[in-house]
Amino acid sequence: MSKGCGKLDESGAAEVRSDGTYPVKLNKIINLFESLPEDERRETLVSYADNAKKQEPREGESFNLVDVRKDEECMDTVGVYLHVEENGKAHIRMTLGPEVQTLTRAMTAVLCKGLEGSTPQEILDLPSDFVTRIVGAELVRIRSQTIYYVLTRIKSICKVYLDRQRMAQVA
Amino acid sequence: MATHPTQYAHPEALVETDWLEKHLKDDGIRIVESNEDVLLYDTGHIPGAVHIDWRADLQDPVIRDYITPEKFAELCSKNGITPETTCIFYGDKANWWACYALWAFRLFGHEKVKILNGGRDKWKAEQRPMTRDVPKYPKTNYPMPKKRFDKEIRAFADEALAQSEAGKPLIDVRSPGEYKGEITHMPEYPQEGVLRGGHIPKAKSMPWKTATNDDATFKPASDLAKIYFDQCGVKPDTDTVVYCRIGERSSHTWFVLTYLLGLDNVRNYDGSWTEWGNKVGAPIEKGA
Repeated sequence: MSKGCGKLDESGAAEVRSDGTYPVKLNKIINLFESLPEDERRETLVSYADNAKKQEPREGESFNLVDVRKDEECMDTVGVYLHVEENGKAHIRMTLGPEVQTLTRAMTAVLCKGLEGSTPQEILDLPSDFVTRIVGAELVRIRSQTIYYVLTRIKSICKVYLDRQRMAQVA
Repeated sequence: MATHPTQYAHPEALVETDWLEKHLKDDGIRIVESNEDVLLYDTGHIPGAVHIDWRADLQDPVIRDYITPEKFAELCSKNGITPETTCIFYGDKANWWACYALWAFRLFGHEKVKILNGGRDKWKAEQRPMTRDVPKYPKTNYPMPKKRFDKEIRAFADEALAQSEAGKPLIDVRSPGEYKGEITHMPEYPQEGVLRGGHIPKAKSMPWKTATNDDATFKPASDLAKIYFDQCGVKPDTDTVVYCRIGERSSHTWFVLTYLLGLDNVRNYDGSWTEWGNKVGAPIEKGA
């Protein structure tokens, strides 16, 4: 059943949108950040960055896809782990190398929490304009562009998952 | 063959981590952290250190330039700095931004400046104390600098061109790929490209990192002399211009040439490749 202003996706499995654009959990995080004055926004970002470690794979978890690599866009290795339940809900875990910037760590925790339970297609369709609403205009600047990198990596693994699903259906 | 120095020209411009840990509470010093990672200070810093952000604190918010002398005086006053305060800069990325902040302080004539050898990474690797407590210092009344020393330590595009045309020492401290024009961005930062790749004609390539050891400390004076005097053709009696992409890596080299090798006339072309590589009609050489 739909709750609040959210609505069901095509399979009827997950409440995903609160305003037609963002998943409900992500929208709550966006609203939280937008309500904060600049100093508290920084503190909250650091708090999220501190929690990035908690987004790592846990013992006993299994994944449909794992993508661990060091890209030129980021200072260190980033691992993305995707598990999709039978009802289509995605769960994302991530590992970050020690050189990854603090803002990127913060966005990792934001996205793992905010996208929990969304489907891979919903994640793929997600616009990236919310990033500046979370980080704030002052911190989005030259040398902090990797804030978009984590979202790109999450979308990338979702795309691979969906492509494989489609190929399997065709076969 | 010229004899190379065995000691830094200004050894007092460096402090070691061990020394700093023993002098954290000394009067007359202010530890200043400047990083590329915009939130790194917030995650923990050397006790007593203040944060000076290269972008938000040192640059004009609208046009591409530095803050005014009035704003510099406000910045120092807010951080409890007087003209007599010795500012000890440190930061991430092997002190790129620490050297950039130091250079900016010198632009406004602040003379008592030092670098923490090895920067933040060395301090942390040695498991020295860190805190999230943000210090508060009594506000000072830093006098407004009478001038900015652009002419002395900063070069503009026309001056970089003149340096090139005169065949005077001009050092490109970017990566070899950027210098050759194989890439139009810095390694690790493909989102920060420019329109044209290559280097300013006659510039010598000497990546900033050549001056450092693996732990981000500076190489000995004799090694630095070989690198810059022998390989780059820098001469003590000739003015030198250094550049990179936005002026931070070249601030590192500027510090090496000015304080560790003791050259009097070194200027940092901070417009660097983001200006030159986008500038209509600017001459460019490609290749090694």
